[in-house]
Amino acid sequence: MQSPDFSQNYFELFGLRPVFDLDLAGLHDAQRRLQASYHPDRFVGSTDQDKRLSVQMASHVNQAYETLRDPVKRSRYLLEINGARLPDDSETTSDTAFLMEQIELREELESCRHAEDALDRCDRIETRLTQRADELAGEFVDRFEAKAFEDALESSRKMQFIQRIQQHLSELQYELEEC
Amino acid sequence: MALLQISEPGESNAPHQHRLAVGIDLGTTNSLVATVRSGEALCLPDEQGRKLLPSVVHFGETEVLVGYEAQARQTSDPLNTVASVKRMMGRGQRDLKHFGDIALHHFVTSGDSGVPRIRTGGGDFSAVEISSEILKALAHRAADSLGGDLAGVVITVPAYFDDAQRQATRDAATLAGLNLFRLLSEPTAAAVAYGLDQDNDGLIAVYDLGGGTFDISILHLNKGVFEVLATGGDSSLGGDDMDHLLGDWIIRQAGFTDIDAGQARRILLAARAAKEALTKQESAEIRVEHESAWSGTIGRQEFDDLIQPLVRKTLSACRRALRDAGIGKADIGEVVMVGGSTRVPLVQSMVGDFFERKPMCDLDPDQVVALGAAIQADILAGNKPDSEMLLLDVLPLSLGIETMGGLSEKIIDRNTSIPVARAQEFTTFKDGQTAMSIHVVQGERELVSDCRSLAKFELRGFPPMVAGAARIRVTYQVDADGLLSVSAQETISGVAADIVVKPSYGLTDSEIESMLRASMDHAREDIEIRMLKEQQVEADRVLAAIDAAVARDGASLLSEAELTLIMRRRDELASAIESATADELKRLIKAVEDASETYVARRMNASVNKVLAGKKIDEVDVR
Repeated sequence: MQSPDFSQNYFELFGLRPVFDLDLAGLHDAQRRLQASYHPDRFVGSTDQDKRLSVQMASHVNQAYETLRDPVKRSRYLLEINGARLPDDSETTSDTAFLMEQIELREELESCRHAEDALDRCDRIETRLTQRADELAGEFVDRFEAKAFEDALESSRKMQFIQRIQQHLSELQYELEEC
Repeated sequence: MALLQISEPGESNAPHQHRLAVGIDLGTTNSLVATVRSGEALCLPDEQGRKLLPSVVHFGETEVLVGYEAQARQTSDPLNTVASVKRMMGRGQRDLKHFGDIALHHFVTSGDSGVPRIRTGGGDFSAVEISSEILKALAHRAADSLGGDLAGVVITVPAYFDDAQRQATRDAATLAGLNLFRLLSEPTAAAVAYGLDQDNDGLIAVYDLGGGTFDISILHLNKGVFEVLATGGDSSLGGDDMDHLLGDWIIRQAGFTDIDAGQARRILLAARAAKEALTKQESAEIRVEHESAWSGTIGRQEFDDLIQPLVRKTLSACRRALRDAGIGKADIGEVVMVGGSTRVPLVQSMVGDFFERKPMCDLDPDQVVALGAAIQADILAGNKPDSEMLLLDVLPLSLGIETMGGLSEKIIDRNTSIPVARAQEFTTFKDGQTAMSIHVVQGERELVSDCRSLAKFELRGFPPMVAGAARIRVTYQVDADGLLSVSAQETISGVAADIVVKPSYGLTDSEIESMLRASMDHAREDIEIRMLKEQQVEADRVLAAIDAAVARDGASLLSEAELTLIMRRRDELASAIESATADELKRLIKAVEDASETYVARRMNASVNKVLAGKKIDEVDVR
């Protein structure tokens, strides 16, 4: 079973410009428009071959959507379609100042777990993280547009670090709200 | 061959007959079946006019009873009467403690998949078999009342059901001989039943507290498209737990000791009756009758105090779902109440306080899920070709793979839109390694031991290489029902192993097959005739599709040689329809499909381009 030939990249699939600053509402709209045509619910009475094709199509659309929706995945994908080499085993940065900052952020997060004003502290860290994420996104866009792909990849990696801490923060906030 | 029949918006395919389709709510405590008649969804009653079918099955030495008749034997014959079997779906021996009142039974493990079976006077039965008895009873009721065979069914499952639980539900449908259109999540069904798809766009919270499960779902509605933004809940929390809490209270008040299975059942029934009375009254009388009889009174406030921690637990899950969806309470437009347990006044008031708005409870909370499933079944049967409703679902729990050190690496994150496929590469860690063991898990935790094990299998026979040189590509595919299949391939050598994954606690194909054979009353010829009929219908459909497609764009999308080949295969099939056997027809249909594969792909691409053709120029322009 050969899947439909999809030579288009994910941006082309959704009819969007291949840029980092994406119109997320437009992306969501395009995803739904394609799903309305290809979702398996539209092929319940069809042949097995068509059912399989429809699952493949709908999966492809969703995979594309998940990739473009997430800023870190989107940044890596942009680099990938522009021919940048993406080593998958060196997901670390050599920027020691940045690494120190990460360690501090994590320690701060851990220390506020038992603090009196834990949730307020979490809010402050959240604001700081959002700010850092925005800065890094801006840095990525500048480097990407200057075709400095190696440097842009470094920004993307740092964005991933920040994203992970944001996830930890959100788990912690949830735990704290439970108590 | 409907991909060849992609129709333009507003243009429907050939008119067809109304097909009988039903929605089934396979509940923990009660089950229902509903259909759409003259444009209106309604639950189908039994001969006595009762819509609910208690999800209780009694296995006597010679007969199987389902529903009220089985329920009547719960007290007199508890060990041969199974209730709340839904809690056991897709679960293994080590989950026994989560089964609730099912745990009263005597379990045995047999068969190659190690599925726990309940020992009864009529034999040993798995959850899948017991559920299929309930499905058969409902399908029988529907076929009688609608006067014909069912084209297909939609069965609802809690949005939080994991892969093993969904597989088990699908297996039960197969075993009951039903054509399953789709597994639909219960909260989505409820929103559909309220006709919220015709309302303004917005965000909907569906709070579903049933007998044995709690679900909270945040749905996004936009132009008739429902999308589950986030789901949460607890697949072993529900009204039964209220009965248990109240039962424990009764035991403390009465000072009962040495409680046997029959007495436990009587206490639970008394507790349930009191709980139901308290939805309308400020206090309720409780009577436990038997040799050790007891009677007493409980006030609403006392009952509320007992169950408050349970309701608070549901609100924590609501908070988490809101967070997952990335929205606040104030963004929620409507709150829909589902499940009999939402009749409890404390539940309504606490949910109302939490979301700061009055929850919707106009429809019968017991029926609402079945009604929504019926509406979806009607659409999937093709009875409403103009309907634009589309239900987009998300994966309820992350799917991962075990990596070194017993850690789970997520392959597909929860709340990813489904269907979805994702591949990831892994490598060997020893020189000369020629096999790799793959362990598929589901859950959010980092340690594999904290996640649910879905399947284990091995990829064998790739050539020995130095450690880290092999490239094993593992692909996870989740279909629109949320069901997973996994395949693995070593990409350098090209050694591929297609592996069909069966959940560790599901049934193996051979077990399903032997059960099917055991339950088959038809003679062998009947089956062959049916298979031939099915293939003939299929052949007609393929021929019609190919003719329509070729007439429309065969000339523009195909070269002459390609067209000739397709038409030759088509004619071979057409001339064989009346005379060929089922197997021959199947082969000829396959030949037509193979010949037209490229054509199908080209039409699909052409159609994608058309879908996107409406976009503004500056949006597709590369900067």
